[in-house]
Amino acid sequence: MTGAALPRHGRAASVAPAAGLALLVLAFLWHISVGAKTIPLPVVARAILAYDPEIFDHLVVIDLRVPRAVSAVLVGAALSVAGALMQGVTRNPLAEPGLLGLLIGASFAVVLVVGVLDLAAPGLIPLVAAAGALAAAAVVWGIALAAPGGPAPLTLVLSGAAVSAFLGALVTIASLLDEETFDQLRVWMTGSLAGPDRAVTLWALPWLLGGLVVALGLARQMTALAMGDEVAAGLGLNVGRLKALALAAVVALTAASVAMAGPLGFVGLVVPHGVRLFAGQDYRLVLPWSAIAGAAYLLVVDVAARLVLAPVEISTGLVTALLGAPIFVWLVKRRL
Amino acid sequence: MADGMISRLDGPVTFVLPVRALAVLALLCAGIGTLVVASLMAGSYPLTAGEVAATVLGRAPSDMGETVVWQFRLPRALAALFAGGLFATSGAVLQIVTRNALADPSLIGVSQGAGLAVVTAIVVAPDLPHVLRPALAFAGALAVAALIQTLAMRRAEGATMRFILTGIGVAAFIAAATSALLTYGQIDQAMAALGWLAGSVHAVGWTDVAILGGACALLAPALAAAARPLRALRLGPELAAGLGVRVGPARIALITLAVALAAAAVAIVGPLGFVGLIAPHLAQRLARADVGLHLSLSAATGAALVAAADLAGRTVADPVQIPAGLVTAVVGIPVFVLLILRPTPEATRL
Repeated sequence: MTGAALPRHGRAASVAPAAGLALLVLAFLWHISVGAKTIPLPVVARAILAYDPEIFDHLVVIDLRVPRAVSAVLVGAALSVAGALMQGVTRNPLAEPGLLGLLIGASFAVVLVVGVLDLAAPGLIPLVAAAGALAAAAVVWGIALAAPGGPAPLTLVLSGAAVSAFLGALVTIASLLDEETFDQLRVWMTGSLAGPDRAVTLWALPWLLGGLVVALGLARQMTALAMGDEVAAGLGLNVGRLKALALAAVVALTAASVAMAGPLGFVGLVVPHGVRLFAGQDYRLVLPWSAIAGAAYLLVVDVAARLVLAPVEISTGLVTALLGAPIFVWLVKRRL
Repeated sequence: MADGMISRLDGPVTFVLPVRALAVLALLCAGIGTLVVASLMAGSYPLTAGEVAATVLGRAPSDMGETVVWQFRLPRALAALFAGGLFATSGAVLQIVTRNALADPSLIGVSQGAGLAVVTAIVVAPDLPHVLRPALAFAGALAVAALIQTLAMRRAEGATMRFILTGIGVAAFIAAATSALLTYGQIDQAMAALGWLAGSVHAVGWTDVAILGGACALLAPALAAAARPLRALRLGPELAAGLGVRVGPARIALITLAVALAAAAVAIVGPLGFVGLIAPHLAQRLARADVGLHLSLSAATGAALVAAADLAGRTVADPVQIPAGLVTAVVGIPVFVLLILRPTPEATRL
């Protein structure tokens, strides 16, 4: 099967990455040029390549727009790779950081620590988010494991929905009890790339890059694991260690993206499934492509979030949900 | 199964009065009475039980007490009872018709559909009369219910889980659309809509109580008429068809009824989650009963639940008021998890 597929992918693989990266750069520049004041693409390019602090447009590009675009690239890549990994490990087409409760777990932990305990050290936030994501994943997996029939796609998504709804209600209660503190967190809680905190972004970066490196390093083994635990063990892989590493990567990627942008649902569902349509099932292709496509996807989504109701800007997380939920319903219909 | 329960122990089939269920119903009603009195007493202007009784009977000891009871606490308590009853019967009907123990108007997006319709009205046409809200909510909820049915029911029967998952997806979509609408709207209208969306009875007045009461009066006869097809459908579609029920049309009519019940409640108090899920299960735990009595028991349980949730929400963190919808969510979700954990045959049987 793979023998017949590889040459074809091999030819495609030589041209496609270049085309994909070119599209990503284009999306990046478009994202920067769009805004309250449209800045023409040549000016954007000049601002990046030959920055001149005397020119106002250059200041806008470098100080305001580039950081947001960079966050979109990083978060989009992180969530998509995390989603692809989760789908491979659980062999569940509906697995995704948002649907399985990791995003809300991380957000809940951050809200608890920042809002209730009043600790806002930027270095602490990714760590807290990681702890929250891990705890939520454990609870969701535990419920699904205890359910009759084991962790089938249905029970996993149901227990993810239950944990998400529960933590969501607790966050709302906490925000009612202390409205002043939570006013600042409210926009972040809906998933927004607006005004990423530089310090938090810098602290989240090692988590994100570490997660990406581990994920890409696991790509070969993931392809075997996606065929079943027995197949993977038969090929001489240490399945337990592989799953633990994949979980660590997923948690680090989720934590970093929540720290930077809050919970952005459905990105990890939409992008890997889209990628599989042309890249096949080989994780050596799926994972890198998910990173590239996820980055481009979130850039475009963020442009839409700023343009659709302009001059009002809606949260990026709302747009990812509006686009992702129909795809989720379609997957339920097609794959289950 | 006609009017009573078939006793299985002694040979000949006999019909017995459902003593236990009737006793539980009486107890629930007493509990509701106690809750109403307690919620009339509690608050930033506390009253004794005697003062409450005197005020309700028209011999108020103080003007302040009269205002507090008649203007604020009594309509609020009544709205909680009506809404709880409506949500609970809606959930009970949905659970029997879809043969899915997890069915709940808010879990499958019906509440969110009603919510989107009402929020659209609040934001786009804030001057729309209050009385039209239930109609709008009904239209929104019905549209969503129809959408979920068509999306989930294409494939073979027994697609109950797909029904719930499709509902989760549709609910996520509508929730995002509602939030987007709130960002777009004027801030004061958005705030009004936001309070309503949390599911709260704190702002109701007598108009709202009248609307809820009217809805109950309108829908109660329909519910009574629904008992016969429900009783048949409870046994499964094949047996129901054998009993002479036209399964397809009956299902559509019953789901429409369930949607109407939930929509009436959502229109006034917002999407109060998980009441429609827990109340029927709790009622069944308290007493197994025939469909008609099960619906009454569910309604009473739902009314008691929402009244208790509202009372807890406004006393626990006083002076902050926690909307009843959040209290019911925090209580209801663990129950939902327990239902997922039950062995499979139980999970689909009712």
